[in-house]
Amino acid sequence: MFEQSFLKKLEEIQKKYREELRRALSKIPGANSEYKTSSNLSVKSLYTPQDNKNIDYLKDLSSPGEYPFTRGLYPAGYLGRPLHIRQVTGLGTAEETNERWHFLLSRGANALSVVPDDGTGARADSDDDRVEGLVGKGGVALDTLFDYETLFDGIDMVKYPVHLITYNAYGLACYLALAEKRGIEFKNLRGSMSNSIRPETECLDIIEYCSKYVPHFNAGYISMRNVREGGATAVQEIAYGIALGIAGCDALVERGVNIEHFLKRVSWFVNAGPDFFEEVAKFRAMRRLWAKTFHERYGIQDPRCLMCRMHCQTYAPTLTREQPFNNLIRSSIYALAAVMGGVQSLHVNSFDEGFAIPTELSASLSVRTQQIIDLETGITKVIDPLGGSYYVEWLTDELERKAKETIETIQSKGGAFAAFEWMREEIRRAAYESQKQFDSGEKPLVGVNTLVEENDIQLQALETLQELGKFEALYEYSPSVAQKQIGRLRKVKKEREKDKLNEVKTKMADILRNRENMIPGLIEAVKCGLTRGEFAQIKAEVYNQTGEGPYVYNPFAGIA
Amino acid sequence: MIRFLLVRDDIYHQRGYWVLARALRDENFEVILGGVQTAAGIVRTAIQEDADMIGYRIMNASPQILIERLFNEMSKSDIADIPVVVGGIIPKKDEIFIRKKGVKQVFHPYTPLDALVREVRQIAISSQGKKDL
Repeated sequence: MFEQSFLKKLEEIQKKYREELRRALSKIPGANSEYKTSSNLSVKSLYTPQDNKNIDYLKDLSSPGEYPFTRGLYPAGYLGRPLHIRQVTGLGTAEETNERWHFLLSRGANALSVVPDDGTGARADSDDDRVEGLVGKGGVALDTLFDYETLFDGIDMVKYPVHLITYNAYGLACYLALAEKRGIEFKNLRGSMSNSIRPETECLDIIEYCSKYVPHFNAGYISMRNVREGGATAVQEIAYGIALGIAGCDALVERGVNIEHFLKRVSWFVNAGPDFFEEVAKFRAMRRLWAKTFHERYGIQDPRCLMCRMHCQTYAPTLTREQPFNNLIRSSIYALAAVMGGVQSLHVNSFDEGFAIPTELSASLSVRTQQIIDLETGITKVIDPLGGSYYVEWLTDELERKAKETIETIQSKGGAFAAFEWMREEIRRAAYESQKQFDSGEKPLVGVNTLVEENDIQLQALETLQELGKFEALYEYSPSVAQKQIGRLRKVKKEREKDKLNEVKTKMADILRNRENMIPGLIEAVKCGLTRGEFAQIKAEVYNQTGEGPYVYNPFAGIA
Repeated sequence: MIRFLLVRDDIYHQRGYWVLARALRDENFEVILGGVQTAAGIVRTAIQEDADMIGYRIMNASPQILIERLFNEMSKSDIADIPVVVGGIIPKKDEIFIRKKGVKQVFHPYTPLDALVREVRQIAISSQGKKDL
């Protein structure tokens, strides 16, 4: 990016500077200790054009909206497409979650997300003895289409893009059945779902069906956020995601599906963690490497297929119970990295997530965090504002280079599907190492291993608020939620037509056995009252899945 | 060697589960990875594997309900003497409740691993009086 003569002169002043720096630091104890990013990159104390000399602006950066999308997916950035303020919601029955959705929209959220209480969806119904204690607790209880109807009550499904946190076809079928009932054409739906790329019929059926009939619904999903939560580094977040994308494409090619349909509609779920600049660089590197990989590997030209679209949720493992209001500050800084990195959609974690799921109070602060960034700071007015920072450009390059190496390792093991267990082990090892760094104090965590308060004033304030009981300061689960949900489920079970139900059950099993696409039949089945537990049961029987627990065992149920 | 049965409430996030498994293994525990199980399943595994101790990661489910169910099943099968420790996201009210029920210790996030392992070992030893543990 720079002339040789300039770099030569620069080296002269740099020589002098390095000497000055050494002298200045030699007087300060401990100042020479090396800082390493979350991905173990050693960081210098100053970056200059010397560190960017191999960057070709036209080739490696280019304009926002242009290949390889380093500076962003769209020419106008947030000026053209405002950030989606999308807080994950899921509590109690569909009634409570619907109420929370309306609350968030009233506070200015412009996109929605729902987390069911079942992880994968492949779980027994709420009235099953095996799920006692889980109903409506870590998410919303959604057993039947009736629950989805309640969930979406008063919600404009066309206006608000909804993300379904499930990779189960059941949730999608209910969403589509509801749209049908409301007379909404599938082509007007622009939601998305956590259909993580995995070698399973269900995953590929969803992608195949949506690519044909729900063309604006993001049906493919690269879920790296939870992988990061599980302990992965920024490099692993990029590399595992892209490797899974490659594996998904290869599986679809085998099925005869045009991968362009898939790539056009794949979205990423990413994290934004504490290492601020590394995070910003990560989003840039992710976009660049994604575009390059699919262009170079599959010869894809259509820019829409090469865009790495991202929904981001801020990092949670550093949310502490100690000095809980510090979490507001942590999450705000993580959110800044996400916005400076140009993500499309964002969830900011709430300060109380070390205790329970968010309350109206804490969730509204998460919405406000994003609004303050957008409206008060000017950050969204300039596209890729950290582009051109010698440090960030160097980091972007480094992360891309390391991620590429990791992808090559995965490919040499037979690709991401074959290397699933290997990736899992790597993540667990990284989590363990990171825990030891916190334990030893090598990685500071305010309130936990440094700046500990004997008398935790913030915790006292929070507990006092809760004791006052005037409003909900900390979420408390009530087992009555389960009773209410069981009542809702029994009502559906009582009212549905038995003969019709048996018919769709048999039909569903046949569809699975014959390996036909399961989505159309499932849409019909949920309309006849088929429950999530019954669908899980049919799958378990056809696929010979076993397991006595509340869930059907799935070896690909998320890497971490 | 202490036989430590590690189980969890659901299949969502599992960072702590794996970190703890590794930490205990490094300290010469025999860790039995029980995964996600119902109370009856946990008890069956504990008996089959001759567990000295049960570690229950609870994050999404209701700690009160799960612990009550587990203890009922343990009593029915005459293994109520196996100590149970809990870790995860445990609200204060739930913590008070499950301690009263007999949970030996509740570990919150960022408990240093060496302290946690030490305490777990102590609980196992004092519960069974085994000198060779």
